[in-house]
Amino acid sequence: MKILAHSYVCPKGTYLNGKRVFDTGEEENPFKSAYQQLGVEYPKFYKMDVLSKMAFIGTELLLPFLPKEVDLENDLQLIFANSSASQFTDNLFIDSYEQLNNPSPSLFVYTLPNIVTGELCIRHKWYGENCFFVEEAFNPGHFSEWTQIGLNKGNNVCLCAWVEAKTNGEQECFLFLLTDSEHADNSIELELSTLIKQYRNE
Amino acid sequence: MSDLKENLKAQIIEQLNLEDLTPADIQDDAPLFGDQGLGLDSIDALEFIVLLDSNYGIKIADPSEGKEIFQSVNTLAAYISKHQ
Repeated sequence: MKILAHSYVCPKGTYLNGKRVFDTGEEENPFKSAYQQLGVEYPKFYKMDVLSKMAFIGTELLLPFLPKEVDLENDLQLIFANSSASQFTDNLFIDSYEQLNNPSPSLFVYTLPNIVTGELCIRHKWYGENCFFVEEAFNPGHFSEWTQIGLNKGNNVCLCAWVEAKTNGEQECFLFLLTDSEHADNSIELELSTLIKQYRNE
Repeated sequence: MSDLKENLKAQIIEQLNLEDLTPADIQDDAPLFGDQGLGLDSIDALEFIVLLDSNYGIKIADPSEGKEIFQSVNTLAAYISKHQ
């Protein structure tokens, strides 16, 4: 297994393969700024929750690294995870009916974390398997195990993400593309752990 | 009526998070739903129902009415004027 490419999105900036591509640290709305710097036209972005916005931006940057020979429509697998599920949006929705007395349908639709993968699949017309796990912390072993299961079943490439929006303001999305490699690489988990630490320390 | 339409356009942009649009981009008679219009979806239709209730005190008892009411800013404004 090997990493084809990786991206990282957080309020202070957006990174691709270790290099900062958008500096949004001074922006009032950093993800809106990153989206506008991407230069893509997808108005639905503005309606998305923060998890989907981060994943959208990071995924757009990874598109050029998807193998051209792969049937992406069917053979791309998505494996996402975080520790707080959709708690950030859940609280916004609770506020909308408890404090504002105005329950918001557009917030309600994002009160499930796996809506993130749905948004990406709709955007790119991906019909392969996808799953979203909720676990205590970033667990690279879990990603590699599930990716391997997908690869064994015939999927050719896997888009993985740790996408987190906590109620304390911590927001990050670490995306990486995994694929099979002729050369067995036992250090993939260590490499992923190192990468996310590096991004967090940027 | 024209003030109502302008207010409606601003409220639509705010309520539906259409951040890349301005009121001037929304024509009075342009379809709001479907590929030819603003490309709004079923969740946006629910937001319209909330908007009418919270901003104008109008409750739509029969959601199937929405198809006619939400056709355009013109039809929305006409419905509000009639029912307020």
